[in-house]
Amino acid sequence: MIFIKIFLIAVLSIVFLLMAFSSRYRTYQRITVIFFYLFLAYLILFPDVADKVAGFFGIGRGADLIIYLAIAILSLIVAVLYAKVKINERAITKIVRDIAIMKARECK
Amino acid sequence: MVVDDGSKDGSYHQACVEGVHLLRHIVNLGQGAALQTGIDYAKKMGCKYVVTFDSDGQHCAEDIEGFIEILRKDEADIVLCSRFLGKAENIPTLKKYFLKIAALVERVMTGISLTDTHNGFRAINVAKFPQFVITQNRMSHASEIIDLIKRLKMRYVERPCTIRYSDYSLSKGQSMMNSLNIVVEYILAKVIK
Repeated sequence: MIFIKIFLIAVLSIVFLLMAFSSRYRTYQRITVIFFYLFLAYLILFPDVADKVAGFFGIGRGADLIIYLAIAILSLIVAVLYAKVKINERAITKIVRDIAIMKARECK
Repeated sequence: MVVDDGSKDGSYHQACVEGVHLLRHIVNLGQGAALQTGIDYAKKMGCKYVVTFDSDGQHCAEDIEGFIEILRKDEADIVLCSRFLGKAENIPTLKKYFLKIAALVERVMTGISLTDTHNGFRAINVAKFPQFVITQNRMSHASEIIDLIKRLKMRYVERPCTIRYSDYSLSKGQSMMNSLNIVVEYILAKVIK
């Protein structure tokens, strides 16, 4: 049990450090990330707490609750990333099109 | 006018024959994007009408003049080619019914009644409709064009044209399984504006 906890905390910390120190985030986003990190670390250290929260929502085990939440959050992230890809694609289209029109030539 | 959509097989240089306006996408974007690039360039050059034409040899260049004539007489704003009004040489049976079903679905969804919705041969009055802009880069632009006809209230007409299915054009045409991807792409585009 102690090894898996150390492992999870280590992985979580690496992800946290990567997110917290990349310059892409605004202050409120960074604060959210920090609180989320503390919350997850708390759940890893004291799994019983998750059980109690799960019981409150009528879900059997704390692990189940975490799986449900993880699926919901990951789906949301996929949707946001998809939208960002679309925005990027639009920008690339505009760039490529403008270059094509600028460099158009008439064959002799 | 030829838009080379980032091909790597030397098409760009082969397409360079006298009188051709040659454009090149530096990376591959898709057929819808290439069409829009061509339309933008045509407008910049002061063209009033644009005819789009598949490059795999299935359409007949002799049909173009008749299409433009309809636009010149202002009888319609967009002329679409229908392989089912005209001659479809060597069309595979499965493909034929598949395309008819696709046209039926479009009719139910948009109320635009056409016999052949997925045909690359169209003549468009772009000067009259500056809002005619294709945003779907890949294959679902065919459905998008039907949407544009509806949204911009364009007067549309279908004309017969001959399509020759050669082994080459069949090998270049998209597989019908790909239409599933087109449908998904189309729905996603509607959801995420």
